[in-house]
Amino acid sequence: MGQRVAIVGAGMTKFVRRAQETGKELAFHATRMALDSCEMNLDQIDAVCLGTAPDTFDGVHMKGEYLSDGAGAWGKPYMRCYVGGGTGVFSVIQGWYHIASGLCDTCLVVCEEKMSSYQPHAQAAFLTIFDHTTERPLKPNLLWIFAMEMNRYMTTYGLRKEDIVQVAVKNKRNALDHPCAQIAKAVTAEDILNSEVLAWPVQRLDVSPVSDGAVALVLASESIARKVTDKPVWIEGVGWSLDTAYWTNRDLCYPRYVEEAARMAYTMAGVTDPRHQIHIAEPYDPFDYKELHHMEGLMLCGKGEAPQMTVDGITQRDGELPVCPSGGLLGVGNPIAAAGLMKVAELFWQLRGEAGKRQVSRKVKRGVAQAWGDLMQVGTVVVVGI
Amino acid sequence: MSLRERVNQPKDTRPWYGELPVESLYTVGIAGEKFLRTLKEKGQFLGTKCDRCRQVYVPPKIYCERCLAKLDDWVKVGSCGTLESWTMVHVGLDGQKLKKPELVALVKLDGASTCIVHKLAGIPVEELHIGMRVCAVLKPKTKREGAITDILHFKPADR
Repeated sequence: MGQRVAIVGAGMTKFVRRAQETGKELAFHATRMALDSCEMNLDQIDAVCLGTAPDTFDGVHMKGEYLSDGAGAWGKPYMRCYVGGGTGVFSVIQGWYHIASGLCDTCLVVCEEKMSSYQPHAQAAFLTIFDHTTERPLKPNLLWIFAMEMNRYMTTYGLRKEDIVQVAVKNKRNALDHPCAQIAKAVTAEDILNSEVLAWPVQRLDVSPVSDGAVALVLASESIARKVTDKPVWIEGVGWSLDTAYWTNRDLCYPRYVEEAARMAYTMAGVTDPRHQIHIAEPYDPFDYKELHHMEGLMLCGKGEAPQMTVDGITQRDGELPVCPSGGLLGVGNPIAAAGLMKVAELFWQLRGEAGKRQVSRKVKRGVAQAWGDLMQVGTVVVVGI
Repeated sequence: MSLRERVNQPKDTRPWYGELPVESLYTVGIAGEKFLRTLKEKGQFLGTKCDRCRQVYVPPKIYCERCLAKLDDWVKVGSCGTLESWTMVHVGLDGQKLKKPELVALVKLDGASTCIVHKLAGIPVEELHIGMRVCAVLKPKTKREGAITDILHFKPADR
């Protein structure tokens, strides 16, 4: 499909609760690092795609334009995408079609989020996503959706909370080896089960934190990629799909939209048996149960089977199918759009064997990254390989 | 680089305060008007039906989101239904603990294909289960104002 597109460079700031840097400065650090990582300069970049979540977080209207200079967009074709939490992975898709179409040969993909600006808590920035006639008069809280989704998931398959929290134990431990991690910490299942209940069954340690941070990638066409690096990581497939815009109308138990996005990406990548042809996965994990939900949507296991796979250790770094070896959002942090792009960056480093202490034990040649968001119903999927 | 340092409290870095005062006046829409007026005047729930997609939308829409047909087949649905999921919420939007935890329910009214979200009352948490029957409790007619809050909450059907 069109020109082949490779990832040739990546950069990432530390994820922190409150960065002294402005959003633009965060974007600059990540972008500069990505360019330096492949020894390219801004003159060699044809276009810039930027992903960032709600304007409300930074408190800046048209945040895309605000961040553009830090992302290296001066004098270039520039576009901001925003599909909520799905943004980080979607931004790669947008960068991909700039090059696959033949329009450009190189493209910077930059994602930034500065959630600490919003006072007193970023949670309230989500208020206006609820329907103004039927939901907002009830003073809804974003936690309602996650808690009822998790309850439905647990009830439908008869799952135990003790098994689900193993995801948070794994990811927070994995993040201990990530130099950019905000909240890497060795926690036990007991710690999580004893943490404050936010909205049952969701507890404090089931959830990723509020963060500031930025991540950037350099994408290139095959002819450029071959000149820049001897280890290009190819974007083999992309997919995205949207379920109903009303979260109350959706199947809370199974993310069909993730499956649809995955099918689109797998078809493009020639993946017919994801359980065996995908060697490493970075599904979106803002909550521990969401990693499981998304593994099922990505068809890496059957419905309701992901918790057992986790308990069996299959998804550990040294397991058969490492899942979130980065430490994920639960461990590294969750600056919304940047967190999604971090997942693609992790696959880039893992496939090149450059993940340092996080390097998975098995030889991995193909991986999948996925993010989720919008009004909790968008699935964005990228398959990469070497 | 300061990113190496850990700043845990937002005010530990030099802040500049700003506010963006925004207020909105929303229209309830064509479908919302009929839905809320009927709820206020008759205490009944209306939905719109798409025969092709076999969907009954409650709250109603003037179009089918699956095939984009214009919908004008209005049907009455029950004021009782099935509890599809629920949660007990302990923290508010400011991240602080609520004085009193609140029960929230996702309910599929009888005859509807979609759910509505609302408060739940009149049952201890231990007795709640997904799949149970619940009914809407409305404000008395004279107090109703044509808003979703004309429903006070849902309660178990058997009490």
